Amino acid sequence: MDDFRPSPEVFLREINIQDNKNSIEGKLKIFFGYAAGVGKTYAMLKAAHQAKKEGIDVVVGYVEKHQRPATLALLKGLEIIPEKEYKYKGITLKEFDIDKALERNPKLILIDELAHTNAEGSRHKKRYQDIKELLRAGIDVYTTVNVQHIESLNDVVEAITGIAVNERIPDYVFDYADKVSVVDIEPEDLIERLKEGKVYKEIQAQRALGNFFTKENLAALREIALRRTADRLNRTAVNEGHENAVKAKEHILICISSSPSNERVIRTAARMAEAFHSKFTALFVETVESKELQGDNLKRLRKNIHLAEQLGAEITTVYGDDMALQIAEYAKISGVTKIVMGRTNHKTGVVFHKKNLADKLIECIGNIDIYIIPDNQPLYKPKKMSVKKETFSFSWIDIGKMLIVLVISTLTCLIFAKYNVSEANIITVYILGVLITAVWTNGQMYGAISSFLGVLTFNFFFTDPKFTFNAIDPSYPITFFIMLMSSIISSSLAIKVKKQAKLSAQKAYYTEILLGTNQKLQKGRTEEEILKIAAGQVSLLLNRPVLYCLSPKCNKIKFNIFDNSEKNVINDYTTLEEYGVAEWVLKNNKHAGASTNTLPNAKCLYLAVRGASGVLGIIGIPCDKYPLLDSFEKNLMIAIINECGIVLEKKHISDEKYAMEMEAKQEKLRANLLRAISHDLRTPLTSISGNALMLMENNKYFDDNKKNEIYTVIYDDAMWLVNLTENLLSITRIENGTININLQPELIEEVFQEALKHIDRNKVNHTIKVDIDDEFIMAYMDARLIIQVIINIVNNAIKYTFDGSEIILSAKRIGDTVSIKISDNGNGISDQSKEHIFDMFYTASQGKADSRRGLGLGLSLCRSIILAHKGKIDVYDNIPNGTVFEFTLKLVEVNTDV
Amino acid sequence: MYKQKILIIEDDPAISNLIKTTLETQNYQYHTAKTGSEAIIDAVSYNPDAIILDLGLPDMDGVTIINKVRSWTNTPIIVVSARSEDQDKVEALDAGADDYITKPFSIDEFLARLRVALRRKNSEGEKSDTNNSVYVNGGLKIDYVAGCVYVDENEIHLTPIEYKLLCLLAKNTGKVLTHNYILKEVWGSVIASDTPSLRVFMATLRKKIEKDTSNPQYIQTHISVGYRMIKV
Repeated sequence: MDDFRPSPEVFLREINIQDNKNSIEGKLKIFFGYAAGVGKTYAMLKAAHQAKKEGIDVVVGYVEKHQRPATLALLKGLEIIPEKEYKYKGITLKEFDIDKALERNPKLILIDELAHTNAEGSRHKKRYQDIKELLRAGIDVYTTVNVQHIESLNDVVEAITGIAVNERIPDYVFDYADKVSVVDIEPEDLIERLKEGKVYKEIQAQRALGNFFTKENLAALREIALRRTADRLNRTAVNEGHENAVKAKEHILICISSSPSNERVIRTAARMAEAFHSKFTALFVETVESKELQGDNLKRLRKNIHLAEQLGAEITTVYGDDMALQIAEYAKISGVTKIVMGRTNHKTGVVFHKKNLADKLIECIGNIDIYIIPDNQPLYKPKKMSVKKETFSFSWIDIGKMLIVLVISTLTCLIFAKYNVSEANIITVYILGVLITAVWTNGQMYGAISSFLGVLTFNFFFTDPKFTFNAIDPSYPITFFIMLMSSIISSSLAIKVKKQAKLSAQKAYYTEILLGTNQKLQKGRTEEEILKIAAGQVSLLLNRPVLYCLSPKCNKIKFNIFDNSEKNVINDYTTLEEYGVAEWVLKNNKHAGASTNTLPNAKCLYLAVRGASGVLGIIGIPCDKYPLLDSFEKNLMIAIINECGIVLEKKHISDEKYAMEMEAKQEKLRANLLRAISHDLRTPLTSISGNALMLMENNKYFDDNKKNEIYTVIYDDAMWLVNLTENLLSITRIENGTININLQPELIEEVFQEALKHIDRNKVNHTIKVDIDDEFIMAYMDARLIIQVIINIVNNAIKYTFDGSEIILSAKRIGDTVSIKISDNGNGISDQSKEHIFDMFYTASQGKADSRRGLGLGLSLCRSIILAHKGKIDVYDNIPNGTVFEFTLKLVEVNTDV
Repeated sequence: MYKQKILIIEDDPAISNLIKTTLETQNYQYHTAKTGSEAIIDAVSYNPDAIILDLGLPDMDGVTIINKVRSWTNTPIIVVSARSEDQDKVEALDAGADDYITKPFSIDEFLARLRVALRRKNSEGEKSDTNNSVYVNGGLKIDYVAGCVYVDENEIHLTPIEYKLLCLLAKNTGKVLTHNYILKEVWGSVIASDTPSLRVFMATLRKKIEKDTSNPQYIQTHISVGYRMIKV
């Protein structure tokens, strides 16, 4: 099977081709006929020649070979894309080659037989999906289809002609085609044509004539085809007008079940919805029993749901044991105006006659019309059968449990009997025992068996004559009967309660997941994180690992996995083939992979996380080793993924907004900085140039002392400029966030030493001490920047404290961080100043005339640097007096075993 | 007296002048080159004892010049760089430069570095004579044959890695060795996780051979670049 799977390279090539094109969708034109042989292909080829004459780039993608010679002759002069061969069970099938078509990239392509089902191993199951892909790629398509292939008309056609058609297309493909051209001829002419052997070969023709091509059939088909076309026109007109207003008027509801007759109900309802132009909802009531459906029933249920979906119904699932009540509730809330249902065969037994669903519904619902579709199918009782099969699972443990309960009840009763407690109480004890058995064991049978055994033991031990199964008193049979009935009823009630508890627990679990999803998603800080949370929720919901990946900007998809189990399964799902499918999803914004009609051979189901701007991410659900998803799980999953899409989109927008704000802020910062710098640079520069000039011109008038003084001034001002430059350089490095910082493990001791080298200790009358308790303590940092931080803080301390003050540098390990403190014993900082001390252009000497020595950059820079290191910086009072600056860095765990 | 010849490769006239003036006062001979291509020709024809190289030349990448010069001579190269070229500095050292000095620099520091570089060149000449089975640097003595290390005549005990580190530094006395270079030589591979270990071993080694670790005599730390053994 794997051999059939198209290679990822092919996809990539195709994707590249698509990239080069504009995103305008192609137009679809359908040549529509009521039977084979009316001349659809002929008309299509004619149109193609016309288009070619007009200079349009036309190619033939696929044309059926059983055409009339006149038709085949029309192929001449048109470019034909060679077909692709698929080998399937020894037969070679020729199919339309979508990859070649996309590669060829014409303006218009002709593809016969819209309803065709592709060979196993093709990309899509159905040809209309191929065509959709072509349309998305911006290629116009001409195609042909007959009326019996349209999904909603399928059963009508079958009823008329007696022939079931397997190849069908969803109605929307037909309805949303850009153009439909009806190819019509009189039925007599068609029969004539058939007899001449123009449509089928001789023998086939005879058979076809007998079965299908009778005059009556053809007339009926023709009528349906024409009416369908008219309906389509009507619908298009409605859609273009006030779609919502019309739709809001009517709302048709159907109930989906696993019944074989359900299909007919769905089709009828769909046609009604079509005729009324109404909203159309298919409701599935999930009950205890429906959870336990198996085999054919389950398959049929899935098929019915799928059919409803194809016919344009919105699928909704509700939970509850009482179907009628659930349907009624839903109908009331959703403003349903009409309910269509089949006549159900759920009558059970004679004694406990249940009202059928329709009757109950009528009771529950006031003013909603109910349409009942008669059902000729044989009596259908899926639930009873499956429930029995399912529930009675023989297990020694349960038998054991049952016997233990029985023995205990009997012993208790024997004790009671000794003290002459009345028989009524003994019966009650047995019923209690049965109840316990029912709750404790799995399956209804144990409750029932236990009821029987209870009656027997009661008979054996407690009725006269004792220790026999005889009973003298004529009232005993009544006692036995009542005892049996009450224990059976109570056991079945207990089981029901248990099941409902289980169901509601599961429901609560799902609800919890859904509710939790939104909350959790909001917590995601990055897009990656949000997607990971969504994947986590889906994984929780479906109880399996989930793959996820953000839309790559330019490079290839790289999946991450969210997996609760310890097993490392990601490699199973990251093969080239799987990535090929994911790429397809990314490019086409459609779900694909396992359980879909596109690339169904993939191991995973791939879902696009959609936003307004396209695919934001991809989520992959492994399906190969896990149970199939039911529609409820699917809906929940899609709800989670949609939610994720919305949150991602929001995040995207807010990120962009944030970036813009940041840019504006930086712009402002830069302007402020420039203003401040140009002002503050002038002062020392004036001093340097002025003093230098003085020396040059008046050298001989100065004595050595005076000269030395001037030299010192020049040197000091130059050094001040050097320091300023260092700070400015650091600012340019970190103003773009953390991009430029280069984190390396560094020994704190070395960093302190290096920083202190830059502080001219000889010029300072302060005592500077270093206090590190662990000499090998190391932290991740950009050493240059952190040295700058230390220099700035120490210089500040020197500047704002008196000579002789003490400055202590210390480092301590706290958890997984290193806390670095720089403390002084000066006058301290006022609380008001502390608030602003890290603001840019704030100086403690604000207002004073001599503000030249501080630009107010130093501490603000310190904060930026520490924040860029993801650390914290703080200032507080030293005890008894002075100030402490403290900042944290990430500790390096040293591993010295080599 | 023989005047040692210095080749200055620097395009900025102010810095070039400053270096020239400084060298003049210290009695060195010098020659200046303004471009990389000029510099390579001068490096051959002038046969300098040391080269001062500015990394920010207009016509050529500093590392290219180092590679070319190193292809025929072992002349010490001191790189002059601005702060923003931190990474270039490491690249230059890995390419074979001996030392670096960052703008703005003090004249004293500059001269000290130049002296170290020249001393290395001289000691290299001596080394080839002796069988260099014993390394002596001030109070530090390494007996390669016996694998023993003495500080002020007292034998000290080193772990194998510390010993390897010390030998590597000793053999490249005067040269700044980058972290990556040391990791490659001692650990055999450059893995980021080894960097902390390197710092720790270097610190313990230093504890054993230095008298005052806050003012080291033998091993100099060059933050975010590497380490160097100084010829005392």
